[in-house]
Amino acid sequence: MSSLPAEPSSVPALRVREVRKDFPGTRALDGVSLDVLPGEVHALVGGNGCGKSTLMKILAGVQPADAGSAEIGGAVHDLRHFSAALARRCGLHFVHQQSSVFPDMTVAENLAIGRGYETGPLGAIRWARLRRRVAAVLERFEIAARPDDRVDRLRPATQTMVAIARALQDQEVAHEGVLALDEPTASLPPDEVATVLDALRRCAARGQAIVFISHRLDEVLGVADRITVLRDGRVVATVARDGLDHDGLVELIVGRRVEPLAAAAPAAVREAADAAPALEVAGLAGGAVRGADLTLHAGEVVGVAGLNGSGRSTLLRLLFGEQQAREGSVRAGGRALALARPRDAIDAGFAYVPEDRAVAGLFPELSVAENLSGGFAGDYARHGRLVHRLERADARAAMERFLIRAASPEVAISTLSGGNQQKVVLARWLRRRPHVLLLDEPSHGVDVGARAEIAGLIRAAAEEGTAVLAVSSDFEELVALCDRVLLMREGRIAGEVAGAQLTVERIDHLLHSEAALS
Amino acid sequence: MTPPSASAERARLDERAAVAPPARRPRRPRRPDAAALLHVAEAYALLGLTIALIVLFSVLPATSDTFPTTANLQATLGNQSVLAIVALAALVPLVAQSYDFSVGATMGLASIFAATVLSGGTPLALALALAIGIGLVVGVVNGLLVTRAGVSSVVVTLGTATILQGIVSWKTGGQSIVDGIPTSLTDFGSGNALGLPYAVYVALAVACAVHWLLRHTPYGRYVHALGSNANAARLVGLDVRRLTLSTFVIAGALAGGAGLLQVARSGAGNPQVGPGFTLPAIAAAFLSVAAVKPGRFNVWGAIVAILFLATLNSGLNLAGVDSYVNDFANGIALIAGVALAGAFGRRRAGSA
Repeated sequence: MSSLPAEPSSVPALRVREVRKDFPGTRALDGVSLDVLPGEVHALVGGNGCGKSTLMKILAGVQPADAGSAEIGGAVHDLRHFSAALARRCGLHFVHQQSSVFPDMTVAENLAIGRGYETGPLGAIRWARLRRRVAAVLERFEIAARPDDRVDRLRPATQTMVAIARALQDQEVAHEGVLALDEPTASLPPDEVATVLDALRRCAARGQAIVFISHRLDEVLGVADRITVLRDGRVVATVARDGLDHDGLVELIVGRRVEPLAAAAPAAVREAADAAPALEVAGLAGGAVRGADLTLHAGEVVGVAGLNGSGRSTLLRLLFGEQQAREGSVRAGGRALALARPRDAIDAGFAYVPEDRAVAGLFPELSVAENLSGGFAGDYARHGRLVHRLERADARAAMERFLIRAASPEVAISTLSGGNQQKVVLARWLRRRPHVLLLDEPSHGVDVGARAEIAGLIRAAAEEGTAVLAVSSDFEELVALCDRVLLMREGRIAGEVAGAQLTVERIDHLLHSEAALS
Repeated sequence: MTPPSASAERARLDERAAVAPPARRPRRPRRPDAAALLHVAEAYALLGLTIALIVLFSVLPATSDTFPTTANLQATLGNQSVLAIVALAALVPLVAQSYDFSVGATMGLASIFAATVLSGGTPLALALALAIGIGLVVGVVNGLLVTRAGVSSVVVTLGTATILQGIVSWKTGGQSIVDGIPTSLTDFGSGNALGLPYAVYVALAVACAVHWLLRHTPYGRYVHALGSNANAARLVGLDVRRLTLSTFVIAGALAGGAGLLQVARSGAGNPQVGPGFTLPAIAAAFLSVAAVKPGRFNVWGAIVAILFLATLNSGLNLAGVDSYVNDFANGIALIAGVALAGAFGRRRAGSA
């Protein structure tokens, strides 16, 4: 199956050397080196936070490295001063899982956007010439589409192929440059995946160097010639696909021997016979969630771990009425809920801290006190008038109780650090003592000190009787924070770890092994 | 090398510190630091500029005879009172990040209908109710189109403004309605109390009411929250559609009411005046971000902006410059207002 040029003298299409990148508090990449050969599919795998997205961002010229170089086509480039334009000129082409095609434009227009429209003497687009050229490209990549087809009418796999063709269309020689694909199959239905993978193999057979990133190990094993495993910002190994099986790959990713699959943790059953569960979810479906069942009791902190695209964030949005469920039932305290909009969830005692503060959590121009009041400024109204004195006093109390460091309740929230901003968003809800607290990446963009404080605030809320459901891609955070962790896969709750089984390695292992969860 | 007196002084201070109860650290430094000074300068720069203009036109030979007179003061302020209310109408949706370009046309339509029914003998109170009612209807239509049909507020309100002006032309045939306007109304429009036109007091009362609404009620807070981050507003349980709709309804009602005041001031229903109010009103609403409470659209900032523009226009007129210079001034003010709104918004939102 491999068309890898066998001779060891084969000159790498891309030679990455000693890439280092530090983020505040962590080293995302620590001396990463790898070679990508012409005509090979080189898979890059690793758990969440292993550094593969950071590496891709650096190679795409989106983010500067702190050290390291890349050699492409004989020229060596310093990755500290790499740019997107330079990456393009070198022949590094990237296809990202989303936003890679313009759905309401035709195939021809999508391809033309990558390279600019050819125009006639009056500045008009030369449509006929464009169509001919696009038809040739489509033939070359064996894409089942016509130049005038609208992209959103095509099958998902074909759309992905259009994105790939757009990235590669200008190559005169087939084996020029490097094609990097970041989770190209993540949003594809299973039957479409094979089409894309076949196309990749054909590209490679023509001599194209391909970097392939995926969480789906079966795909990786099916398509790759060689596999580089990253863990904690380091290359664990670069191995040939031949001679590697699924368990062996999981072991490399997780970093320890894989236990027999039969030892998957039994669901820990919590006894709370005296009271109805704080939250009961049955068969919930909508968006990426395809039938989730879970039960949450007052006073417990339950984590949700899942890979990208598993539906973990959608689950919270469905539970908060921010996104409409297709089917399924949600009961809180024994009462069935109809969650048509966030207000319904809030009235049922739910609270939600979204993943992205700036986009959905903060009112950046408003003060700390105003942000704390949020939608409940009415609580401070007497005869229709806001009593600012009461609101400020309450805000001061909240700042003290929830460890928010700000000069006064009146300063604009945007002057606070990320950690303090997050504590404000959290405090907005915690001071209302919610029955159910839904957290999406509660310590996203928060420094280490504030992270511990936020964990403390969440635990304290649970001790006062709040049921907490926390989604995080940081498994260490989940292990430290949660009583048990639900494992989410393809829109369903596929398993659970608790007690002695609740370790980062265990979560990592279970999420990466298909059999253990199905 | 320390002189003994100084060390004795320090010793005394130490002693006092030792026995005194631990003093609470002051919340703010006593001496205003550079940032605080800058803040004050920012808040009152436009007002200062207005005062500088007043002084300038008062001493400038070309205007020193006519500008600093009671008559000019009364005329200038009186003429601005209708504009002030229309600007406040534009301000309410603007706080929620929506744009109402129909406020001038709404005022014009209401003034025509009010003048028509008044000349037919309808009592004043009913005419006022009609003017406000027309504004309410326009506001509901604007709001529904923006929130339900999902059309951009700029497009919706430019469209309704055009339609309203069409109704005015159709209704009047381009003729002003001058007959039969009750003298009680025109007397009010031209009368003064304590040296200022009645209309100024009306505008001030409306300004106080809008200020109260926006700053001192939960509703006003929610409108600010919506304007700051619509996503976050929805996630704290606010009904974003209803809030947006309500801002257009309030804008319509204010603009409609201003229509009757316009009839009182001018003694007629003039089919031409309405649309001319829109841009100065929007300019003042935008410029409010640069005065009194920098970084936020606010009522008193809008009033200061109106005074600034009025002083400038009046001075220029009295100096005998051609009227196109006023157009330049108003156009520049609009662009500057929008630019400042953007700059202040970015700074407040992104200074972390």
